[in-house]
Order: sequence, then C-alpha cells, then structure tokens
Amino acid sequence: MMLPAVAFLAVFVGWPLVQFVRDSFYAIEPFGGGREFIGFANYSAALASDAFTGAAWRTLVYTVIVVSLEFTLGLAVALLFSALGDKSRIFRTIFMYPLMIAPVVAGLLWRFLLIDNFGILNELLRRVGILQTTDQIQWLSNPDIALFSVALPDIWLTTSFITLILFAGLQNVPGELLEAARIDGARYTTILSRIILPLLRPVIAVALIIRGIDAARAFDIILIQTNGGPQGSTETLSLLVYRTLVRFGDPGLASAMGTMYLLGMLLVAVVAVYAIWRPGSDRS
Amino acid sequence: MNGLVVRGKTARTILWVLLAAVTVLYGFPFVYLLLTSFKTPLETIAVPATVFGSEFTLENYVSALGREGVVASFINSTVTAVLSTVISLVLAVPAAYAITRYRTPGGQVFILVALVCRMVPAIVVGVPLVSLFRDLGIADTSFALAIAHTTLSLPLSIWLMTSFFDAVPDELDEAAKIDGCSRLGALRRVVLPVVSGGVAVTAIFAFLASWNEFLFSLLLTAVRAQTTPIVIANFQTQFGLDWGSMTALAALYSIPVVLLTLVLQRHIVAGLTLGAVKG
Repeated sequence: MMLPAVAFLAVFVGWPLVQFVRDSFYAIEPFGGGREFIGFANYSAALASDAFTGAAWRTLVYTVIVVSLEFTLGLAVALLFSALGDKSRIFRTIFMYPLMIAPVVAGLLWRFLLIDNFGILNELLRRVGILQTTDQIQWLSNPDIALFSVALPDIWLTTSFITLILFAGLQNVPGELLEAARIDGARYTTILSRIILPLLRPVIAVALIIRGIDAARAFDIILIQTNGGPQGSTETLSLLVYRTLVRFGDPGLASAMGTMYLLGMLLVAVVAVYAIWRPGSDRS
Repeated sequence: MNGLVVRGKTARTILWVLLAAVTVLYGFPFVYLLLTSFKTPLETIAVPATVFGSEFTLENYVSALGREGVVASFINSTVTAVLSTVISLVLAVPAAYAITRYRTPGGQVFILVALVCRMVPAIVVGVPLVSLFRDLGIADTSFALAIAHTTLSLPLSIWLMTSFFDAVPDELDEAAKIDGCSRLGALRRVVLPVVSGGVAVTAIFAFLASWNEFLFSLLLTAVRAQTTPIVIANFQTQFGLDWGSMTALAALYSIPVVLLTLVLQRHIVAGLTLGAVKG
C-alpha cells in the first residue's frame, strides 16, 4: 500500500532531482538544448563567483536571524500562555492567524508597512518620538539593513508556529518537578534554564530544524519585497538559483549552485539533528 | 493545569497586560491590511500614513476583482488546492496505514526519505518538472500544478497520518478481520472512521500548502492555470502604486484561510504539535 506514494515521490521528486544533479555537470545552452559534459567546471565557476558565496552567506545570516528571533519571541509568548493557563485560549487563536496567510501576502503587506514615506511603521515610530522624519530608516532600500527587514514577515508569519509547538511541549512538563524546585527556592530563570529547557529539548529541536529548513528555502517573501535588491543585499540562494536559471539562462551553472545548496542544507540538518536532538542518547 | 501557571494576583495582571500588548502588536499588520483595503485609493498612500481611513469604501475590492485574470486565478487556486489535497490523501492514507501496520524496515526508511523530500528547495524539483509536464502535454494546467504541489504536501501528510494511525490500536483491525473484513475493508470500515479527525487535519495542511505556494506556481503556469499568489506578485510590477487593489486582493485571498482557522483551530493545533511533542 506504500507503493503508490513511493512511486509518486520517485517520479516527481526523485527523478527531477537526478536530472537536476546531472545537469550540473553539463554546459547547457538555454534554447535549443545543446549540451556538453564539462565535469565539475560549473561547480568551480559557482564557487569562484562572488554572487554565489555572497548568496550562501546571506542565506545563512537570514536563517540565523529568522530562527533566533522566532525562537526567542516564540518561547517568551509560550511561557506567557502557560503562565496564564487556560484563559489565554482566545489569544492563542489570534496568534494562529499569520500562520495561515500566504507568504506572498505577508511579503506584500510588510513591504507596504515598511515603505519609506507612506509606510505606517515609520509614521508610528515618528508619532511616538523615536524618529524625526519618516524617511529616517529606509528599511528596504538601505543595503545594510535590508536583509533584516525582509526577514520581518517571515518572523511575523511563523513565530506562532514555534509558540504553539513549545506551548504544547510545556503542557507535558511535570508540575511536581517545578513545584519542588520552587519550594527549594529556585529562581524562575534557574527553573527555566535547568529544568524547562532541557526537558523541552526534543520539541525545541524539531521546531528549530523545521523552521531552519524553511527559512533557508525562503523565496516568495524576499522576491516580493525587494527582488534581491538593493544592490544584491537580499539575494539569497533560492533567488540566485532562480535568476541564474530563468533570467540569465544558464541551467548548468544554476544546477551546480542548487546541488551545493541542497547538500549544504542536508549537512546542516543532519548535524542539527545529532547536536540538538541526540536521538536515543538520554531518553527513550 | 501544570505547575507553570503563575498564581500571584498582581503578577497575573501584569502578565495579562503584557500578553494583550503582544497580541495587539502581533495582530496589527493584518488588521492594518484590512483597514487599508477599505480606504479610498488615494488615502492608501497618503503622507503621513493614517491607521483609520476617513471613509469606508469597497472601491478597491471592485477594482481588484475587475482586473483581468483575477477571478480566474481564484478558480485556479481553488481547483489546484482541492486536486492536490485529494491526490495527497489518496496516496498518504494507505502508505501511512501500511507503515504503522506492517512495520517493515522499508517503511521506516520511507518515512526518512519523505523527510528528506521536505528539504529539497522547490526550485530544484520545479525546473525538471517544467520539461516533464511539457513532454506529457499537460504544461500550464491546474492538474500539473496540483501534482507539483503534492510533492510538498505528501511528505507532511504521510507523517501526520502515520502519527494518527499509530494512536489506533492494532486490535481494532484484528477484530474487524475476525469479523470477515479484508485488510482494506478493515481500513475503510473501521480504522478510517476512527481517525477521521486526523484525516481532516491532514487535508487542511495539504490544502494550505497548495493555496499558499508560490515558486512552483510561478514556474509551472503561464496563463491558463495561473494562481492568485502569482497574480498578486505581478500586480506589484504592473500597477506599482495601486496599493488599494493589492490590499483588497490580499484580504480576499486570506478569507478562506481565516475561516478554516476559525472553524478548525483545535484540529490545526493538534496537527502542528503532534509530531513535535511526541519527539
């Protein structure tokens, strides 16, 4: 009964993957399809180009920004929910909405919020006195901060994912343990770092790995906000591979970049699974 | 409730205020989108920006829906998402059932392979799919796009359904078999009704994955099968300053999703946290 699903993934994921990797060893003309085997030449070309190394670096920075902010905010809100108990249910529902919204819509919405002169964010910052003029922070057109700004909708969209998962994990933390620690006079921070976080580790691992993978693949959110600009400051690997392929029509080079991108992600994921999760090491 | 609940009255009040503040901040972007969509087109780009419009108008909605291809794209999005959900369930339910009931090493390996499939960037799979669908003569159709979207939702569907089947004791199938059901009969008549909530969760996630997907839709559709996210993205380049219509379209596109969340929120939380909490 597994066969149909296996066959489906083999044909529509496995086979394209093989094609893609094979293409990375060829020089391919975009139209007409003339192709010539060139071994690892595409790989060395990619590694030698600033565009590729820059994009790889930006993908990493973007992922770290997104995941670390989401985790911090998500954990804080999850603890808040737990501290307030069942009555916080309505708030939990409100928190779920962004999660369901299309990334394209989120990207568009945040672009609108962040636009220099008529964006509401700078206007609100001006009204409360943090900014003097509304064009003081150019969220999306200043290359130094644009990579952070394009991450905002991603953080907004999926902090709730982390919150919900951690909240569910917190429900399973045995109350007697916390009670005992409290009677012994332990501070909240100590309880948090010594008891709660270690117990939550498997849950945290799953949340971080899933979000890390998704953040590293981010495409639509960035495309719609800046299209990789200004001056390439938000061009991550997804965008670079897409442009190399579609705009510059170089399937061979794009495939080499994509293959390394995929291998990098697999590598990081495997390391993450073993480093944070440590399946079977201390429990089960 | 567990020991994390704070009991002091003052402390609780402070925490409630804090939670309310966080929620307002968190909800603001979407509320602002809605408010903006009912402003007049000029007011959407007024300087200084305002939170509330001076009048309530449906002008943006009328103009957004009047644009060429917008209504068609909604139909395409719906057809694609429904098709993809159906294909995903038809493939995932028996696979997950087999994984939990036969427990072969192959099944365990397959679950891991499905996880790896989730890591593959869409661009890597999308490009070869373009030529495959062209060769099959189904390029630029909702069916082809639904197949592509299923590559994203199938791994997750298998994972979710596996967890749900895991929760149903084997004895139930055994009993059904003793009563004369075949394996498939037991699945259909006895086990599936028990996990119907799980099937609903899996269906929602498959639907959402397709409804919100962008990159495959961009690569695999041209005119006929174009979905709304692509139209929204094109909007931006073609009508650079028409923020009113864009916010209206974005709001419209979010309606089904918001309704789904509202009706099925408990199930969604169950689905999101299921795999994670079991670790």
